[in-house]
Amino acid sequence: MGIPDYPVHSDDPQLQGFYDGLAAGELRLTVDPDSGAYVWYPPEVVPGKPDARLEWRAVSPEGHCYTYTTVHRCLLPGDHSQEVPYTVVLFESDDAPGCRVPGVLVDADHVTPACGMRLSFRPVAVADRVIAGFAPA
Amino acid sequence: MQGGKVAITGVGETPFLRRSEESLTRMLVRASLAAIADAGLKPGDIDGYIGNRMVPGSDDLGPLIGMEDRAFTAVTDVAGGTAPAGQALILAQLAIEAGLASHVLVPYGIQSTKPGGVYGFHAREHLKAAFEMPVGFFGQPVYFASMANRYAHDHGLSEEELAAVPISYRKWAEITPWAQRREPMGMAEYRQSRMISTPLRAVDCCLTTDAACAYVVSAVERAKDLPHPVVTVQGVGVGTNNYPHGVLFTQKPCTYAYPGKESAAKAYAMAGVGAKDLDLAQVYDGFSISAIVQTEMLGLAEPGEGAKFYAAGHGAPGGRMPVNTSGGHMSGGYVPGINLLIEGVRQLRGQEGPRQVQNARLCAVAGLGGNSHSTAILARI
Repeated sequence: MGIPDYPVHSDDPQLQGFYDGLAAGELRLTVDPDSGAYVWYPPEVVPGKPDARLEWRAVSPEGHCYTYTTVHRCLLPGDHSQEVPYTVVLFESDDAPGCRVPGVLVDADHVTPACGMRLSFRPVAVADRVIAGFAPA
Repeated sequence: MQGGKVAITGVGETPFLRRSEESLTRMLVRASLAAIADAGLKPGDIDGYIGNRMVPGSDDLGPLIGMEDRAFTAVTDVAGGTAPAGQALILAQLAIEAGLASHVLVPYGIQSTKPGGVYGFHAREHLKAAFEMPVGFFGQPVYFASMANRYAHDHGLSEEELAAVPISYRKWAEITPWAQRREPMGMAEYRQSRMISTPLRAVDCCLTTDAACAYVVSAVERAKDLPHPVVTVQGVGVGTNNYPHGVLFTQKPCTYAYPGKESAAKAYAMAGVGAKDLDLAQVYDGFSISAIVQTEMLGLAEPGEGAKFYAAGHGAPGGRMPVNTSGGHMSGGYVPGINLLIEGVRQLRGQEGPRQVQNARLCAVAGLGGNSHSTAILARI
């Protein structure tokens, strides 16, 4: 299985906390400090609370797969024909049910992906960056 | 708003092509003039225009069509099929009943071969660029494939059941002269189709099309003086959810729970009918999985039974509830929502030749547009 190679196109400082977390080996999501609730993905404005400022919080690296798909024809801009097939999952940490983090399924050569399967966070180095990866627990 | 007050009096389109040399504007003008002529009207009779953020507005298109008095103009602000197959009908009826316009034109087109392709707008969504694209979660087939796997987990979905959807629609396309994909397709041909993102193959995805369509809405009393049998808007409803496009494909509690039950409930209530009263349906088939789910939401099948509906042949020619009678978006052509609506109108006129559904009087048209969904109930009176 391959790994997609596509740069992060974001100059939004509000989103940088996610990649700071990956570099530190942590999976971080955003929390509304007033309510303590996870608000994910971080919206430009918290619904109904234009003054709210979200904070990044590390969550458990253990969780499960909400869903997945194995990509055989990558639709990202550019030529990615050497990177397929790869499997992407939507991961839910045990700490934040319903908050889904997309990532690449790794260390799973002989594993058939499935909804509900237990996964562990496993950051993946690609080119000059670290992306979210998840491996069977 | 009451049903049966306005009618779709004219319909038109350009040929559905994989690649057209014509600009979107030129195709829209052609389709609009065809729809106006089909209604037995002249361009100067059109005094209402409902555009969309994806196509030129009346400032530009109106003069090219020959409109003289743009008394009422509006722009739908929902995505995909919901706009021309639902919201535009609501706006047109409001304008006509308010006396602001007599004949409202609704043009809609797509240029799938434009630079950036059909997925370009996703790439501009900053949340997707930040979190999804770097891990390769990108493009409609990938999003909907992930929905299909979750649906299969929740309800069960065999390869044969999934394949039954495009195979059923292809049977209609075989008898539709202008359909883009008419070659017969069974399981063997299905399995030869390129895998895009499991479990969706290329034939589980809508076509890429360069084309434009248009229709004219008029008051029922005026429609009676026009050339075609009267096809009314008996009911129309739009459902929405509060998940913006940046989070729609990942964070919704159930990612395949489109607001289709809501739109269908509104449309059926307005029309005073139910699913059991329908003679046929047109279902927005961006992908096999989304067609299955909407088939359930329209009430044509029980929840979790949508794929079995197609596997049993119910939606195919000769089936008890014909669906996508010109091949839908997966085999006929993909001009989001509007070519399905037009097919519904023509079926109710009774002019479809070999693919005509006998005694068709009532047709549902489902349109999906990201976080919105529409249902329209068309009736021949």
